[in-house]
Amino acid sequence: MIREGSIHIPFTYAAGRAASRFLVVLRDEGRILGSPCPACRRVLCPARSFCPRCGEETGEPVVVDPAGTVVSFTETAAGVFGLVRPDGADTAMLHRLLPAGAKWTIGARVRARLLPERTGSITDIEGFEPLEATEDHA
Amino acid sequence: MNVDLHGSIGVAGVGQSGPSAADPRSIPEMVLDAVERALGDAVVRWVDIDAVVTASVDLFDGLTASNVAVTEVIGAVMKPETRIAADGLCAAIHAACQLRAGACRTVLVVAHGKASMAPRAAIEAWAVDPIFLQPLGVNFSTIAGLEARLLCDRDPEAVERWGHVVARRRADAAPHGVAAAVAPEDVLAAPVLASPLTQAMEAPPADAAYAVVLRADGDGLPVRWVAAGHDLEAHAPGDRPLSSRPGLRRAFDRACRSAALAPDAPFGLLEPSCRYPHEEDLLRQVLGAACKSAAISPGGGLYAGDAPCAAGLGRLVDAARRLRDEPRLGRALVHGAWGPAGQGQAVAILEAAP
Repeated sequence: MIREGSIHIPFTYAAGRAASRFLVVLRDEGRILGSPCPACRRVLCPARSFCPRCGEETGEPVVVDPAGTVVSFTETAAGVFGLVRPDGADTAMLHRLLPAGAKWTIGARVRARLLPERTGSITDIEGFEPLEATEDHA
Repeated sequence: MNVDLHGSIGVAGVGQSGPSAADPRSIPEMVLDAVERALGDAVVRWVDIDAVVTASVDLFDGLTASNVAVTEVIGAVMKPETRIAADGLCAAIHAACQLRAGACRTVLVVAHGKASMAPRAAIEAWAVDPIFLQPLGVNFSTIAGLEARLLCDRDPEAVERWGHVVARRRADAAPHGVAAAVAPEDVLAAPVLASPLTQAMEAPPADAAYAVVLRADGDGLPVRWVAAGHDLEAHAPGDRPLSSRPGLRRAFDRACRSAALAPDAPFGLLEPSCRYPHEEDLLRQVLGAACKSAAISPGGGLYAGDAPCAAGLGRLVDAARRLRDEPRLGRALVHGAWGPAGQGQAVAILEAAP
């Protein structure tokens, strides 16, 4: 015999000091923050409180560029996802690449596309789109 | 209890239940089946077991403290019991540490996973960072695709080679596994999972339980546990180099140092936990000359069935059996992995008795 069951438990996740600041600045100012590690000197993006490599508490967040470089990408049934290293950062963010039907290459230049109405979530960045497309819009 | 801390550890017995696509039994029934087989293989009784280490992850079992559900079928009541929430090979490493510490003479190691209980991708979506990754709807296969892309970008023949590797593994696994053999061209033509990986390239999820009896003073046993190492990478995939496995490198180097082996000392057998074919490339990259003449997953490895959290212990079971049957293989490397893009890495070195 089989008993069907499911688990529905709402959770609240505290983002922590640095990630909260990242989300607030993204929502209110439309800017992307990274965290500098005082030990390895890398700027970690998205911002976080500790360097995963050194274990050091990170310093005052810095603004990184909304433009960046595609480090890798993958097409899935849920869309195209890429690792994008924003200019001024030393690590990459995993996010959507837009539009899904575009021909992507490693090294492509992209820029973050932000939602006009933002709520304080990583999805306030709708995704990263080719830099030429954003220049066309400008 | 007097245990020689410098004596060898032996693999006294192994047992398994599955893999199967959907085992109708309960988890305790599957585990009991595997444990009874391992105890029988080791010719020991429950009373001879000094301690038990299990591996399981609550989300996969759909209940909190999933080890509690199996304590009575692993003989753990009124004994030291430890649960590891990682791959089963880590449970074996923990058991070996207990033996080395002289705390026990005989330890039972158990790992179980029942993938048929819930969609694997949905569970793994809960295993990634809740602030920056979960809202995007990514899971382990998404991150594996990012990793595979980096390899095929610098090696244009990689994807075709992966098609052949998967076809070979699936053919080897088909007689005792959960999925049928597939021709290389069909592996490549299968629907996309996370490009460049196709759905046929992913090892099929399965239900299985594995049990291993490790014993101190194992000199008289046909297979010896020589050394082990494990390591953990950063969680965020953008924080680490996805075109190499430095965590596996560190784990392997630790095991070699512990065994006083040169890093290029040859292995006769590799039993890696590779859910995707590009992971074999990453493994070969780390092992280099050490794996040049090794037989790799002669039974198909995870392509026989990938039971969550249990896979690495399953590799240990397969390797121990193979070394017993073919002692000429000499030395085997067993590998376990967990987390997105192999965030956690574990290896163990086994040797056939001379």
